[in-house]
Amino acid sequence: MSRKKIEWFPIVNNTLLILLALICIYPFLNILSVSLSDGVPVIRGKVYLWPIDFNIETYKYVLGNTRLGITRGLFNSIFYTVTGTVVAILLTFVTAYALSRKRLKGRYFIMLLFLFSMIFDAGLIPSYIVNNALGLVNSRWIMILPGALSTFLLIIARSFLDTIPSELEESAFIDGANEWQIMTRVYLPLSTPVLATIGVFYAVSIWNSFMTPLIYLQDQALHPLQLILYRLIIKPDGGTSFENLTVNGHQILPDNIEAATIFLAIFPILFVYPFAQKYFTKGMMLGSIKG
Amino acid sequence: MELKQTQQVTYTARSRLLKHLWNTKLLYVLLLPGLAHLVLFKLAPLFGLVIAFQDYNTFLGISGSEWVGLDNFITFAKDPYFLVLLKNTLLLAGYSLLFGFPIPILFALFLNEVRNALVKRFTQSLSFFPYFISSAVMVSILYTLLSPQTGLVNRLLDVLGLQSIFFMAEPGWFRSLYVGMGIWHSFGYGSIIYLAAIAGIDPHQYEAADIDGANRWHKMFYITLPSLSTIIVTMFILNIGNILSVDLDKILLMYNPSIYETADVIQSFVYRQAFASQGFPNYSFGAAVGLFQSVVAMVLVVSANSISKKYSETRLF
Repeated sequence: MSRKKIEWFPIVNNTLLILLALICIYPFLNILSVSLSDGVPVIRGKVYLWPIDFNIETYKYVLGNTRLGITRGLFNSIFYTVTGTVVAILLTFVTAYALSRKRLKGRYFIMLLFLFSMIFDAGLIPSYIVNNALGLVNSRWIMILPGALSTFLLIIARSFLDTIPSELEESAFIDGANEWQIMTRVYLPLSTPVLATIGVFYAVSIWNSFMTPLIYLQDQALHPLQLILYRLIIKPDGGTSFENLTVNGHQILPDNIEAATIFLAIFPILFVYPFAQKYFTKGMMLGSIKG
Repeated sequence: MELKQTQQVTYTARSRLLKHLWNTKLLYVLLLPGLAHLVLFKLAPLFGLVIAFQDYNTFLGISGSEWVGLDNFITFAKDPYFLVLLKNTLLLAGYSLLFGFPIPILFALFLNEVRNALVKRFTQSLSFFPYFISSAVMVSILYTLLSPQTGLVNRLLDVLGLQSIFFMAEPGWFRSLYVGMGIWHSFGYGSIIYLAAIAGIDPHQYEAADIDGANRWHKMFYITLPSLSTIIVTMFILNIGNILSVDLDKILLMYNPSIYETADVIQSFVYRQAFASQGFPNYSFGAAVGLFQSVVAMVLVVSANSISKKYSETRLF
């Protein structure tokens, strides 16, 4: 019987990569555990991986307290993300569809304009002046309209539509379908994978956006969750500092509240993540294969 | 007779064009919202750039404000703070490139060597996760982990008998934190393109190498890496094109006046000029600074693109 040599490479390699993966996820696990723990073990530095003295009082407090504005922020974020994503998908699809039709005159020039706008950025201040003139400052529309058409995602959608054979369109024409029917009955159903892809891109970017609400939304009633996070944790001012309190025998400390707020801002991502990962990968591939 | 014929031709050509437009009218209607979006949100701000050459006054508007030529640019160039901003911008972007660029490649190379499908999937999924998290969440987590009293890192330093550090208020720590967080945020995502390229390598090459007696390292360095060279060069050139761009969200979230000396960059300076200044917002000056950055960035991207086109036959546009 021959002695089998131990292969060191796979062992070391696998261990290091798993460790790396854990580094990516550990901060989130720690935050989740803190938000579900009692305040006392948190402040004593005992919470690392698992919650100690498990309870959900912090969440009840955070979601029930109107002064913190977290429930409202959550509502605003969901509203912006859902509305914004629907508008963006529709706008991107019809634009990509029109630009992918060869019978549309001037489509090459229009595409060049889009590409140019992607490379040359006017910058913060000129955009602010235009958005201000359009009445978008302190309006919910600012979260929905300016981001509703991304040139990058337009290119992805267009290259997808280009891959659908034009014979399909011709035969539909011969069958008597008009322009509108061809788009809605032939191309739209075939485009669901790419629409899901760009939808995920748009949704994640709206949910995560920070600069736009920071600059354009002064009214606190309109603030999305990301801005509330900024106000509560990064720039705590006098009005929002938390007091220590005891609810149902559980200590709720500022650390608990911060952790719960952070976790709420991640929460929806956890649901879309499995889909998002798949589609993001697909989108990356589509986007990178050009020529 | 001849004249009549020409008229006839023009007439039919025009009617054909009209007929074409009428038949495809829906396409043009469909294009309208997208065009309106392009004009309003992308092209109109470009005209707003003229305020960089004005002494812009909100009440007078663009047409009423006084023209001052290049005054705003000269003021900026003469300001000693300009050099600090430029240095900070270049250093942050440069370090991000230097440390952030090779990591996704190495990660993809070593992940490719994992034979266990479960480990592979697990590692890839988790490494990808931070990419979905907003800057506000990441920086919030950073604050809680690095908090001087209760933060995990300082507790660890305490256990080791070291002095606790107030990371977010130390100018010396900013660059490392910014670059480190950037890597943590996006190395998994960045590796996708390399993993895809690796998946496209012809397996026969590996089989042939096996027969020739190549070991794992040989295959990694003589087959996988050379196969990736085109995409690596392309990605590198494109990254160089973005050397003046930093993640403004992250900087605005992470910096504070006590660390401006290392953390303030061109864009955050523009932001402060217009939106966070105590006095009257200086739009024109901010727009001039922003225009300077956009022009340099565009020159860099376009030249990087043409270099990429020349050497690797891959291009962005």
